[in-house]
Amino acid sequence: MRKEWEYLLDGVQKPARYTGGELGSIIKDKSAVKLRYAFCFPDSYEIGMSHLGMKILYGLVNERPDAWCERVFAPWVDMEEKMRAHGVPLYALESGDPISEFDLIGFTLQYELSYTNVLNMLDLGGVPLRSRDRTALTPLVIGGGPCVCNPEPLADFFDIFLPGEGEEVTNELIDLLIAHKEKGSTKLEFLREAARIEGVYVPAFYDVTYHADGTLEAVTPTETAPAKVKKRVIADLDSVYYPKQFVVPFVDVVHDRAVAEVFRGCIRGCRFCQAGFIYRPIREKSSDTVNRQAKTLCESTGYDEVSLCSLSTSDYSEVEDLIPKLLSWAPDEKINVSLPSLRVDNFSESLMEELKKVRKSGLTFAPEAGTQRLRDAINKNVTEEVVLGTAAQAFRGGWTSVKLYFMMGLPTETLEDVAGIAELAQKVVNEFYHNPDKPKGKGVTVSVSVASFVPKPFTPFQWEPQDTMEQLAEKQKYLMENVHTGKIRVSWHQPHTSFLEGVFARGDRKLCDVLEEAWKRGCKFDGWDEFFRFDAWMLAFETCGVDPAFYTNRRRDFSELLPWEHLDYGIRRAFLEEENRKAHESVTSPNCRQKCSACGAARLNGGHCDAIQ
Amino acid sequence: MQFNEVRVFFTKTGMAKYISHLDLMRCMTRALRRAQIPLWYTEGFNPHLFMTFARPLPLGVESLCESVDIRLVGEMTFREIKTRLNDALPRDITVISVAKPVHKPTEIAFAEYEIRLFSDDPAALMKAVEARFAAETLPVQKKAKQGKRRVEKEVDIKPNILAFESSLQADSVTLSVRVTAGDQNNVSPALLLEALTLNCSGVVKHTDILKRRVLLQNGKTFC
Repeated sequence: MRKEWEYLLDGVQKPARYTGGELGSIIKDKSAVKLRYAFCFPDSYEIGMSHLGMKILYGLVNERPDAWCERVFAPWVDMEEKMRAHGVPLYALESGDPISEFDLIGFTLQYELSYTNVLNMLDLGGVPLRSRDRTALTPLVIGGGPCVCNPEPLADFFDIFLPGEGEEVTNELIDLLIAHKEKGSTKLEFLREAARIEGVYVPAFYDVTYHADGTLEAVTPTETAPAKVKKRVIADLDSVYYPKQFVVPFVDVVHDRAVAEVFRGCIRGCRFCQAGFIYRPIREKSSDTVNRQAKTLCESTGYDEVSLCSLSTSDYSEVEDLIPKLLSWAPDEKINVSLPSLRVDNFSESLMEELKKVRKSGLTFAPEAGTQRLRDAINKNVTEEVVLGTAAQAFRGGWTSVKLYFMMGLPTETLEDVAGIAELAQKVVNEFYHNPDKPKGKGVTVSVSVASFVPKPFTPFQWEPQDTMEQLAEKQKYLMENVHTGKIRVSWHQPHTSFLEGVFARGDRKLCDVLEEAWKRGCKFDGWDEFFRFDAWMLAFETCGVDPAFYTNRRRDFSELLPWEHLDYGIRRAFLEEENRKAHESVTSPNCRQKCSACGAARLNGGHCDAIQ
Repeated sequence: MQFNEVRVFFTKTGMAKYISHLDLMRCMTRALRRAQIPLWYTEGFNPHLFMTFARPLPLGVESLCESVDIRLVGEMTFREIKTRLNDALPRDITVISVAKPVHKPTEIAFAEYEIRLFSDDPAALMKAVEARFAAETLPVQKKAKQGKRRVEKEVDIKPNILAFESSLQADSVTLSVRVTAGDQNNVSPALLLEALTLNCSGVVKHTDILKRRVLLQNGKTFC
């Protein structure tokens, strides 16, 4: 069977992104299933196919005989142009059917700069953008992922958000929708029941009012909605579903390898890091489970690389058991084990020895700030001695290039902290030349990557003003004046994109109109420098009468009601306030294994957290 | 290390025509690994699976006659290799046979294609095709390399077309051609269509291209 639109693929870039048919993709008989789920990733195929969450939920839904989950990605601009010119709607890769024919259209919201792609994909699929304009029971547009911890800027477009982890609530929602389809319920009848499920947020069931100054006055639940929606947490990672097979792409995608998830949550509590708070509490898999899942995936996919996935792999309590287990079979199968997210402070000599057995990749450290004072303020408990000591150790191990990650615009940052970035990089360079056994004829490269800090919800910095673009430009200039060698290479994030990210990260429902206006003005793929159109965005804000600086550059008072406070991520507000105060005094907090700070996240997991033994 | 060279013949049809040669190599490597066929890896710092394709297939062309050579270290019957590999390959790529290689890929001299040109007015297209092919020469710009430089040079591909038949269908014109193939004077279907000015624009809506056979200088099938 050959569909007419397949000829659109002649002449587009990397057409194998649009064909489906990859190994591991699931084909079902659509007349034999009761529910069809279009899992959408609002970015290109190469990015979306690298995402572990999609692989988990794709496998999970397709385990059910009564449901069929398919994949949808944002077509690249050349393909979109052809699709629009020929009237071809956005289709799912497995069946080739338009997304408008599906029961559930689920978007994973990984970063704020993908929001215009959500609207563009709905539009390209012939699905009305706004929830209120979709009057039938299906398709329902639902959203999950980290950005759902403040989904308010998307509230008008989605029927349901699912804060937290999706493995259980997805099945509960599917069961409910199948029942309501069979009963012939209306959308409202279904949403009323759905809102009773823990972890289901129906934005239309909340009335939002504002003070005259634009700040939030109240968020009032209506219908069956709870006052606070608790995020969902999986209690036992050893028994929760994990895929035995991945869809193996034809084209080269960003992360093209088997992935074994090691644990969820993070013990560190770095105050800038949203992931470090919203994925709490800590839950670990046993090293046997991780090892078994890694091996199964390598066998089923044919991948020659397996990567461990967590926020900080070296904090995994069984890491010293796991690595030898993996290395007992992987090298014989010509499989490379990669360990991203290693922290500098507990990068042990023995782990380094084990790592030498696998292929040498780049070494990356994330001191995040240039001075000890600022590192204390952000609770990045890494000292200069540790950074330099580890770098020296790496240089002795034969590495000649090191990557250092920093942030600029952190709360309490001064020009002295900015200069500290250049100084620390210089000390790393010096460390290389102090090594008596340094490889002959080889220089050192220290790549310094400087991201602009964006304050995020559910972090101790959620009240902080974000640096303006002018402040950031000035600091960047100052940093460059302090770099005195070509051995240090500095790269930036665009301050414009960070600004927009900041607006939407802590935005409210007034931004829904701005988002639609920007999309109408042609904004999409905002995360891609070549497509980001700052001028169009500014015109959209102006047209809607919304001041973006209200969201980014304003210090919020502790007394202010924040737009995401009707979502319960377990973390106590009082804990975040306390952490904020400590930041301003440059006082650190111990990590969760040293001492529990009673953040509150364990409350959503029956009081259990693997960091507290 | 002792190994046995084995040739795997496969088809690449349907949507698999959109898999580029580079992507096909990756796909085949993974399929061979999944199939757990005992294979020879190159020695050295980064061991990789030894694998040689007879000819790269252009993007957008379907084929019934692709082949890849692999090296076996250990016993496995040809039938077993075929079964296992077919279980491990994505749909639209299918192993048809496994055999001991007879010819070298460099012995390939010709290829046969079936090219179907879809049109709203196939009768007019048929006339145009025949008129163009009747010309004494078929000059076309061909990309080539002079040392390291990339250059374009004009070549006449008329002598490279050994057989040319056209037939009329209700919605299309089908060309059956035999052209020279190999490293030296390869004529790809795209080059042939360019020389005949039958690219997808104007009267031709879209094109299906199928590679049917690869032949040696003596006209026998490459195997």
